[in-house]
Amino acid sequence: MKKSYWFLALGVWFLLGCEGTQDGVIPKTDVRITFRARYDGKPLVRYAKYNYADYWVDFFRFNAYMSRIALLTDGVPVKISDIEWVDFTPDDAPTDTAVDVTLVLRAPEGQYTGIRLGYGVPPDLNAKQPKDFAPGHPLSRENEYWIGWKGYIFNKIEGRVDLNKDGMPDGGLIYHCGSDAVFREYSFDLPIRVEPGAPEILVTFDLQKLFVRNGEWLDLRNPYNHITSNDFNDVVIASKLMDNFKPATSVMQ
Amino acid sequence: MNRSLAQWVFLGLALLWGVLMWQGCQKEPPEPAAAGDLVHIPYTPKPYTVIKPAHFPEVPVPPDNPLTVDGVQLGRRLFYDPILSIDSTQSCASCHLPHLSFTDGLPVSVGVDGIAGRRSSMSLLNIAYATNGLFWDGRVRTLEEQALLPVEDPIELHNTWPEVVSRLRRHPTYPELFRKAFGIRDRKEISKELAAKAIAQFERILISSGTSKFDRFLQGDLDALDDEELDGKLMYFEEGAAVGLPDAQCFHCHGGFTLSGNQYFNNGLDKAASLDDFADKGRGAVNGRRSDNGKFRTPTLRNIALTAPYMHDGRFQTLEEVLDHYSSHGKSSPNKDPLIDQIGFPIPGTQPLQYTGLSPYHKRAIIKFLHALTDTAFVNNPDIQNPFR
Repeated sequence: MKKSYWFLALGVWFLLGCEGTQDGVIPKTDVRITFRARYDGKPLVRYAKYNYADYWVDFFRFNAYMSRIALLTDGVPVKISDIEWVDFTPDDAPTDTAVDVTLVLRAPEGQYTGIRLGYGVPPDLNAKQPKDFAPGHPLSRENEYWIGWKGYIFNKIEGRVDLNKDGMPDGGLIYHCGSDAVFREYSFDLPIRVEPGAPEILVTFDLQKLFVRNGEWLDLRNPYNHITSNDFNDVVIASKLMDNFKPATSVMQ
Repeated sequence: MNRSLAQWVFLGLALLWGVLMWQGCQKEPPEPAAAGDLVHIPYTPKPYTVIKPAHFPEVPVPPDNPLTVDGVQLGRRLFYDPILSIDSTQSCASCHLPHLSFTDGLPVSVGVDGIAGRRSSMSLLNIAYATNGLFWDGRVRTLEEQALLPVEDPIELHNTWPEVVSRLRRHPTYPELFRKAFGIRDRKEISKELAAKAIAQFERILISSGTSKFDRFLQGDLDALDDEELDGKLMYFEEGAAVGLPDAQCFHCHGGFTLSGNQYFNNGLDKAASLDDFADKGRGAVNGRRSDNGKFRTPTLRNIALTAPYMHDGRFQTLEEVLDHYSSHGKSSPNKDPLIDQIGFPIPGTQPLQYTGLSPYHKRAIIKFLHALTDTAFVNNPDIQNPFR
């Protein structure tokens, strides 16, 4: 009996040893994806004044969950990450300029035709809580979990509105989007080369484009457009923002 | 009065003897030369299992300082031992008392020399989860780094680490405890880094019991909160609009299961015409960003009813004063958090839009909810009390 276990173990070892060298197995390599925040094409700087319709806005916080990141080959996804948390305005940043966030993921080498990005936390993960994840996991972050909503805050965009452009803020611009109803996935077509030494993939979010669609701005004079929480009105606003993430995102390599 | 030579010699010798005796009394006995003097003591580290509520995440523990039973016990002893202070009168626990949820009940803490510090003692409840900086201004990242600072702060324990380490090496008990905690071979290996690691281990077990009214509610006991406390909870978590309650905006800053958030905000305590006008620049003084002047780390609101007075400088004596502050939207400054202005119901027709603040009932309900966060099982936990009593 003991002998047969040895043979079994030897067989498993042999098969495992062969896996990496078989013909047809594609080697994996590092893929660097850098996320960058902008407003109207300009670097995002905390508390800097930006034009918004005919008034000013500023921002002091921007972070987001990005999920189900996959490289595409003619629409067929190769998933390279379940979930990541990108924080453009960390408390320990050296300056007020939003930082670039670079992820280093692993993907099979090759030529791809696009990338898919999930915006927020997909429903299967959104049903979980920070306690379900080990420390350090993106979903273990207690600040990004909304106890009242029993779900994650998909992104935080926080700033202020200066309606009369006198330099004194007139209200907050606080968008905390969440709930399964507003989770979005978007694909972007572009040639992506994955091999050692290949350039990074650059994903840029332009916050201005979150708030304007077909030339129409989200009216921040309306106080109910200043903030999202968890009532029906807020889910409607959050849906608009999450829809706008597609035109607000540009990808290049 | 002529003295003989012998008398002078005798007097001189007596004086010399006296001086030598006096010097001898002043000098500490030398540290014993003791290569490997502790190896006869067994070193059998056992992992310490932190008891935490089921709805809390795993406690973050750095890989280079895993919790062990002996490490936690050593840390507990060091935490409560005045040996750390220059005159052996104060310990960490002097400013972090268990029955006050590890605060000291003072507006600002007072050190061994009777000098008042600038800031109020922060609660250590669930401090293990604070991974975005410690102290009010986030000037250190880890509990291990934090534990090093008060010992040498002239307005806290006002000692030096070489002196503390020397005391620990000479101590009749500590060398054995360090051996059991860290496997050192001899007492000369006792260091400030190991002392800080032990204290950090103890601090990481200061976790909620999960038995507060709020925790029982979260775990499905819907009767744990009465109607007023429930109203307070709805306003706290911005869930009350559907039942006609205003938004108190609390959870945006005091969020997560620790109700801390561990982020930095200007909550409108002081009027400032420019970012340079804050008397205490807080976070901005640490990271050099003007935009962070006047910001402080949000403390946990768990056990908040036990941790008066409030704010980084202890300016508010009661929770009523705190709620009055927020309800009045605080004082203006360039980087005041905008949510402070949005507490209450929006007032239609105002431009810019203004908010009502909170009614006496709303404030009372929120304060009742804050009392429902009190965790008496935690503060009475025998495992975290002073081991010298």
